[in-house]
Amino acid sequence: MTLSVSLTVNGQAHSAEVEDRTLLVTLIRDGLGLTGTHVGCDTTQCGACTVHMDGCAVKSCTVLAAQADGAEIITIEGLSPPEGPLHPVQDAFARSHGLQCGFCTPGMVMASAALLKANPDPTEEQVKLGLEGNICRCTGYFNIIKAVMSCAAKTGAA
Amino acid sequence: MDQQTKSRAFTGRREDSRLVTGRGAYTSDQNLAGQVHAVFVRADRAHATIRSIDTEEAAAAPGVVGAFTHELLDELGFNQPQASGPMKNGEGEPLFAPARAWLAKDRVRYVGEAVVLVAAETPEQAADAAELVFIDYEDLPVVADVRQATAPDAVQIHEGAYAGNLAFRSEYGDRAAAEAVFASAPLTAKVTLNSQRLAANPMEPRACVAAYDAESGSYDLWSPNQGVVTMRGTIAARTGRPADKVRVHPRDVGGAFGVRGETYPEYIACLAAARALNRPVKWTGSRSETIITDYHGRGVLLTGELALNREGDFLAIRIEWLADMGAYLSGHGPQMRIGAPGGMAVNSYRTPVVHGVNKLCFTNATPTTVYRGAARPDASYLCESLVDHAARIHGFDPAQLRRRNMIPKEAFPYTTPTGSTYCSGDPEGLLDLVLANSDPAGFAARRRASEARGKLRGRGLAAFFEPAGFPMVEQTTIQFKADGVVLNSVSGPSGQGHETVLPEVVADQLGLDPADIAFKFGLPDTELKGGPTGGSRTLVAVGGSLRNAGEQVIEKGKALAADALGVPAEDIDFDEGLFRHRSGNASITLRELIKRHAGGEAHPLDSLGAYSPPQAAWPSGVHVAEVEIDVETGVLQVVSYLGADDFGYIYNPAIVEGQVQGGLMQAVGQVIGEEIVYDGGGQILTGSFMDYFMPKAEDTFPLQLLHHNTPSPTNPLGAKGVGEAGATGGVPTLANAVMDALSTVGIGHLDMPYTPNRLWNAIREAKAVRAPA
Amino acid sequence: MYAFTYRRPGSIEEASQLVTEAEDGKLLAGGMTLIPSLKQRLAQPSDLVDLGRIPGLAGVTEETAGLRVGAMTRHVEVATNPLVRQHISGLAELAGIIGDPQVRNRGTIGGSISNADPAADYPGGLVGLGAVVRTNRREIEAEDFFTGFFETALETGEIVLSVLFPKPLKSAYEKFRNPASGYAVVGSMVAVTDGGVRVGITGAAGFAFRWAEAEAALGAEFSPGALAELDYDDSELNDDMHASAAYRANLMRVMTQRAVARL
Repeated sequence: MTLSVSLTVNGQAHSAEVEDRTLLVTLIRDGLGLTGTHVGCDTTQCGACTVHMDGCAVKSCTVLAAQADGAEIITIEGLSPPEGPLHPVQDAFARSHGLQCGFCTPGMVMASAALLKANPDPTEEQVKLGLEGNICRCTGYFNIIKAVMSCAAKTGAA
Repeated sequence: MDQQTKSRAFTGRREDSRLVTGRGAYTSDQNLAGQVHAVFVRADRAHATIRSIDTEEAAAAPGVVGAFTHELLDELGFNQPQASGPMKNGEGEPLFAPARAWLAKDRVRYVGEAVVLVAAETPEQAADAAELVFIDYEDLPVVADVRQATAPDAVQIHEGAYAGNLAFRSEYGDRAAAEAVFASAPLTAKVTLNSQRLAANPMEPRACVAAYDAESGSYDLWSPNQGVVTMRGTIAARTGRPADKVRVHPRDVGGAFGVRGETYPEYIACLAAARALNRPVKWTGSRSETIITDYHGRGVLLTGELALNREGDFLAIRIEWLADMGAYLSGHGPQMRIGAPGGMAVNSYRTPVVHGVNKLCFTNATPTTVYRGAARPDASYLCESLVDHAARIHGFDPAQLRRRNMIPKEAFPYTTPTGSTYCSGDPEGLLDLVLANSDPAGFAARRRASEARGKLRGRGLAAFFEPAGFPMVEQTTIQFKADGVVLNSVSGPSGQGHETVLPEVVADQLGLDPADIAFKFGLPDTELKGGPTGGSRTLVAVGGSLRNAGEQVIEKGKALAADALGVPAEDIDFDEGLFRHRSGNASITLRELIKRHAGGEAHPLDSLGAYSPPQAAWPSGVHVAEVEIDVETGVLQVVSYLGADDFGYIYNPAIVEGQVQGGLMQAVGQVIGEEIVYDGGGQILTGSFMDYFMPKAEDTFPLQLLHHNTPSPTNPLGAKGVGEAGATGGVPTLANAVMDALSTVGIGHLDMPYTPNRLWNAIREAKAVRAPA
Repeated sequence: MYAFTYRRPGSIEEASQLVTEAEDGKLLAGGMTLIPSLKQRLAQPSDLVDLGRIPGLAGVTEETAGLRVGAMTRHVEVATNPLVRQHISGLAELAGIIGDPQVRNRGTIGGSISNADPAADYPGGLVGLGAVVRTNRREIEAEDFFTGFFETALETGEIVLSVLFPKPLKSAYEKFRNPASGYAVVGSMVAVTDGGVRVGITGAAGFAFRWAEAEAALGAEFSPGALAELDYDDSELNDDMHASAAYRANLMRVMTQRAVARL
């Protein structure tokens, strides 16, 4: 029970033979060797596996590779060019000390980037709600919220 | 103290460039050619004899290369007994350390205990085959908790343990003196508290990659760890291999918190399987496996009694700890449970008389070990709950009661009745800072305003003094290589920023740029000696060792400078990276000397440092928090939190703050929602994030962290470990705030976690009791 | 998870046929509840029939009778759709607090109601708003659709196509989340309609239901105070370590009061 999927990952087209039951995160990590996307739980709660699929933040541990056939995927590795510069969210996380062990960070950054894309000037409350799908055990979230808020566009409203 | 730290604007850590771009290298990111995948078959019941294990069908399943049991470990001699520590009680009775088969042999004693390792070409094939393993059990009565375990008719989980399923029992302090004080004390107070079992839950599920090299007969392991040297030692001991045939490789570690410093059965089993198959074996645990089989934290029943005179002076404290060790002893669990209670018995106070009893008890549950703060948050929780309770029932102001009993700053170094020497501190100074910044006078009005909105409001204060670090020789090297300065250490970081802070320590001392200094940790073949990363010891121990190495660099540099300048070495001073002839203008920079003598295998300035702190340093703090409880829903919200801490000397304020925030949020977790729950049959009811609460971004609150530092005379940096202060301060502070709120409706005692369900039900019960007939 | 055969039908007819003919077939919509249960090996379907490629199943359209939400419409779409926000604000609120943002990008209304988790939000919303479920075979009133613990009136091969929500005069949804899972301990959809007040409750019992006593009390006086003395026989309510039955009964009242207070 295998099938063929074709998808674009970080701008590059890929084809892969996968089992019907293969998860998107497994294809990304094992099939394509992009190990920046992490598996942190088994109940679709922790968000460490968050990638962008057709422009939306999704939990790749709960998407079949088959469902991603024809999709455009951005992983943490594709958020910014390998030689830099960092994406503003990545930069903000580093500057605000929004990461310690770094395991939740790729998913947290991808979720934050999606949040800011949909809502460039969020309130702190909106940031907290927007990160409900991501769990961190090291930072206590204080600096993560600071990092995301520091990216918020100042709309110039007096 | 020594040089001032350069004040550097924080622009990020060295680690971040790889971690924010997904280039971290965690254990499960590792793949070796020819590897197979392991899945464990685990005990599905808490206490049973194993009659037989049938792996025939599993072994024949598609893709399976082997199904291994204790038989393989026995064959390889991988079941060496776990070293029981040198602990003996006052009667000379040693710690009872039960034998343990790393894959269960005759008996299983906790749900999740590993029994069989199934290895296959793909993880799915291994998982499919694991379902074809049949284990024939004969159930035994389950001892689900410490109360059951210590009951007179309890089943003994281990033959040879002390009566009541005890692994150890010890006393400290002066029993007779305490009895005399309590007998005549005008005022007393007593609390019994449960510090509930927790799962550390690092975000990285536990995993390992094990390999065997037939040619050299050596084993390689990649796994989360808190220091490769320590783990190499325990693996060597448990497998009966010489340490130089075991290599543990460093990886990025996705959170450790104490529980990843253990050498787990899965690692031993995977190493054995790698040997049997002559292929690398990779195991990636699930979150459920991590919750259930990573050793648990906390898990202790605490009883405390305080004797006071009418003015509020503490006359004596009596303490009992009944600690839930789980089914087997972990590597670090016993020591923490035996050392901390006595070590922290008087906390921040001048209490003259102490008596305490420790009992370490087996249950049919996952073993317990150190977790963020180890036993110190339990010690501070007991003492500070007791002080608040005494204040409440005897009509003292909680801040004033603490103040009159705090150790005055002139009294440091202060040796407690149980022999702890607090190196330096100023508890009253911390209290002043907290009171000056938290508007205690306005609390009454804030409480009335909360009540008008249907919320109970509480204010909680807590003081703490905790030991950080311990005497142990820590070696490091400073090497001057072609592409920069390299520091070598055996530390095992998991997010604390070692790669950023330790170069700053050396840069400050030697007048170099931290960007030119690289910190390397955990080289598998290292001969450096050192301890694990934990117990908030790294800055002092590794920093101290680097300081020592740096001093040698300076001495060697003076000799080289003397040569270069043509003056005697003793006439040369070193400051801010410059060697200067004292009585002339001749000088040469360290950078220039490095360049001049570069080119060989080794550099003449290369140095080996060694340092053992003479004793623990003692960080301390006073924290305050205000909370609201919504009476309609039981929802608890932290409204504000202010922490004032004494960390001796702060190198990197951003990283220090991050450590406190993280520890504090783990305290929040314990206080508001986390708990490992077992049912009466020893089954875990909270085996996934669906049932095990984890704090999220919405659980943050207005937080202010202040510092009032008194340098520690115990180490050259004057520093005190910061890693666990958030937990040691957070648990009692928040618990006291909640109990203060609950006291307004007549609730005198309620155990954590303060979930909405628990709070609402307790408040309703209390109101029913108080309702007029 | 166990191995299965993945099917990608291009039409509802094909999907219905595939799932009927399979040894043990399951329909895949957003996958936010099905895939986790498969990962836990709680189910072992032989075939997974993916509805995700069938055109015409997603989107919100306005009809005379109300708003029609296609079965494959993602939660995020319902939460942000201008028609829903304007005409059935309670429904937008409900969709906006299902799970988390990533889950809302994938989860669908059809998948949610077909699964009928007693702690899911949509069932309470459908019952409270008096929605009608259209399948490939018939129309089913919400109150007849949810029949038990993870049980619906759907027959084998029957597939939800869309849900029609009549427009209330006003509506609001209040949810008390399980601190660990985020699912509804109790959710209350309050809708003021031409036919009177409706209160749909989820999370409290084996399946979503209308709270008749609350509707009557609110019909007499539409205020939070009208529910102050209302009790609910908690002997039928769910009881677990996260929420006792008594606590759930209390939350039924409190969540309904808070929804009313916002209207």
